Amino acid sequence: MKYIIRFRKRGVICYTSHLDIMKVFKRAFKRAGISLKHSEGFNPHPKMGFAQPLSLGYEALEEYIEFETAENFPVPDDIEEGILRPLQDIMPEGLELTGICEAPWLKKTLAAETVMAEYRVEIPADTSGINAEELGEAYMAQGEIITLKKQKKKPEPVPVDIRPKIQSLRAQSAEGGIILRMRLDQGSQSNLSPELVITTFLEFSGIGTDRSEIDVTREKIGFTRDIDKYFQY
Amino acid sequence: MNLDKLLRRVEKPARYTGGEVNMVRKNPSDVKVRIGFAFPDTYEIGMSYMGLQILYNILNKNEDIYCERIFAPAPDMEKLMRDENVSLFTLETGTPVCEMDIVGFTLQYEMSYTNILNMLELSGIPLEREERTEEHPLIIAGGPCAYNPEPLADFIDMFLIGDGEELLEEICILYSKGLSRQDFLREAAKLDGVYVPEFYEPVYDEEGCISEVRRTEPSAPETVRRAVLRDIEQADFPVNNIVPFIDTVHDRAVVETFRGCTRGCRFCQAGIIYRPVRERKEDTICDLAMKQLSNTGHDELSLLSLSTSDYSRFEHMAVNLMGLCREQNVALSLPSLRLDSFSFKVLDEIQGYRKSGLTFAPEAGTQRLRDVINKNITEDDIYSAVEQAVELGWEHIKLYFMIGLPTETDEDLDGIAEIARNIMDINYKIRGRKGGRFRVTVSVSNFVPKPHTPFQWEAQNSREEFIRKHDYLSNKLRIKGVTFNYHDTDTSNLEAVLARGDRRVGKVIKEAHRLGCRFDAWTEYFDAELWQEAFRNTGADESFYCYRQRNHEEILPWDMINTLVSRRFLEKEHEKAMSGVTTGDCRLQCRGCGVNGYTECFVNCDTEAFGQDS
Repeated sequence: MKYIIRFRKRGVICYTSHLDIMKVFKRAFKRAGISLKHSEGFNPHPKMGFAQPLSLGYEALEEYIEFETAENFPVPDDIEEGILRPLQDIMPEGLELTGICEAPWLKKTLAAETVMAEYRVEIPADTSGINAEELGEAYMAQGEIITLKKQKKKPEPVPVDIRPKIQSLRAQSAEGGIILRMRLDQGSQSNLSPELVITTFLEFSGIGTDRSEIDVTREKIGFTRDIDKYFQY
Repeated sequence: MNLDKLLRRVEKPARYTGGEVNMVRKNPSDVKVRIGFAFPDTYEIGMSYMGLQILYNILNKNEDIYCERIFAPAPDMEKLMRDENVSLFTLETGTPVCEMDIVGFTLQYEMSYTNILNMLELSGIPLEREERTEEHPLIIAGGPCAYNPEPLADFIDMFLIGDGEELLEEICILYSKGLSRQDFLREAAKLDGVYVPEFYEPVYDEEGCISEVRRTEPSAPETVRRAVLRDIEQADFPVNNIVPFIDTVHDRAVVETFRGCTRGCRFCQAGIIYRPVRERKEDTICDLAMKQLSNTGHDELSLLSLSTSDYSRFEHMAVNLMGLCREQNVALSLPSLRLDSFSFKVLDEIQGYRKSGLTFAPEAGTQRLRDVINKNITEDDIYSAVEQAVELGWEHIKLYFMIGLPTETDEDLDGIAEIARNIMDINYKIRGRKGGRFRVTVSVSNFVPKPHTPFQWEAQNSREEFIRKHDYLSNKLRIKGVTFNYHDTDTSNLEAVLARGDRRVGKVIKEAHRLGCRFDAWTEYFDAELWQEAFRNTGADESFYCYRQRNHEEILPWDMINTLVSRRFLEKEHEKAMSGVTTGDCRLQCRGCGVNGYTECFVNCDTEAFGQDS
């Protein structure tokens, strides 16, 4: 049976890469006695995967991991009690499992169904004399936003226009800085890294904050279908 | 402390965050003693070291003690910490190291010494013990390199020699009594295994040799007897191991099957300082393994000892563990197997179609030299094992040798090439003229004489001699299918200085650190030039420590450490080595090393099984 678990990643665990978080889950499944279906071939690996990779250092509020249990693993009557709870009990601090659903409807992978993601970016800055809202609007009003992007198989980064991939962006003033909320193309069809938006926004606004002082949280991932309805609250 | 700003700019930030599965959380204000267990290398190396997990487990089971971990920051992190004025901190609570009561360094290899000084400096703790006050943490150190404590004697308040399972906790409890630093050190020095350097003062003669060691504290013992666990079965072994988030050198469940070794190789320090052989019972081993696997989720299990197949009921245990691992889909890894027919059956099963290389460690190229070093392996052993290996489908043979061994000549080097060539020929004979993808790797390390071994008096080869031998071997080993690797010579010479140095070598280490030496065990960071400069600046003579043949009458810097093996035994072994006479395995007959005058040999071993193999 296929399942999807929704989880949060907050605190110092955000310095563990998403790939390493995959191993945390793999070990947790093993410890909890939930046997997963394995791929065929010389080097079988358990069938599980994240909806989207998450950059090192980002926190996240709604991430998804899909997995398929082995044929001999019985479907529990209560999947929260039978799967979610035992896993949560052995999760390291900062990984909070917020929901589980069965996903027989998932034909390919969640990654293939991902279309957008929402990010919240906190930029500490001296905001006196800055109108954050207007700054955000002016940034978005640009006809094109050209920046250099490293492309596969090309040694030099090439200029690209990222504006079409920014679905929306709002800036607001907050205590001690500016908060950006943005919705970006995400997934295999069209994808934009929030890092490029952050760099171009800082350049555009002339704010000199160092990247290492900026917090980024992925608040939501959007799919071609509404998957929230499968999760019971 | 805002660590985020640093963590966002370094490689592998999870090295510094803690928070792993099974990390111990305590409220520091609820405990009497806070100890930082410091591994003087990066997180990935330190977390692969089982001793850390063993002691962490024991100390933290005591509710009066909180043991936290400290590692050396990698160079990128160190730079940021210095720029941003961030002090070295513990992983568990992020507490600055200088706020610990005790900081304990583990000394696993000599080339980590500059990292110790660097970690003290990054903690804002004065490097030299004489500059420290009661306000600073007590700085202690233990592990195999503590058997010659002198090179670090200026920096460390107290060394713990021997098995740490009981001693370290005892020290913490004694510390919690709140004695003054002096009274505490005096009390501690009464325990077996405790060496307090300030209580001893070496005096040197005109030639620079030690003429006597004055004791400045009358209650301190003349020689420090190492701490020894009579029965390791009684010692607590961890089952809730910390599971690192990031890849470490070894990510796996590990159970120690026995301590000690009976083979008596004359170059080997571990073979002396871990005597006698003491086993853990088979049921206990299986039980610990299963508990560890279920508490960690690891998918690999390995056994820890000096020589896996010397466990007295090895075959029984191996079959048992193979069954348990198969049931749980866990890979079993058995390091350093002696390659007899049983081992092949085991390896064939646990490695299946994915056969890793087969490893042999003849250590020397001729039977004559193997007799000198007492390495009990013959060429027939190797060739018949290789034949079986080739027939079972192995395609890679790894051979380990040492060069620069006492009495070595070029004939012994020729022998190394001969063995490699003969192994290639065996493959051609079995697989035909083309021989398939079969490969032989010859790895050669440079002999470093170690304290407390029968070769502790021996001179090391000079730099030039090592280089000549490497070139000689490179020529001889130009054989199709054979790869030749060797170790860096400068590293080996320095290792010899640090291993057999006296108290004056501390000045060199301090100067090397001042000049910027760090991570000397890493080829990418080791800087031989800087070390040369450190020797020049301090006026210390490298050759006095490396290249000088000592005689049996000389007082050696580590003579005040009593390993329980008698000096007389080492002398006799040394003499036998020089005349090429071997000493048999001590499971067959006692060889009189002296350990059994203090503690029992072969606790929990099935002595009936002795002599049936080997």
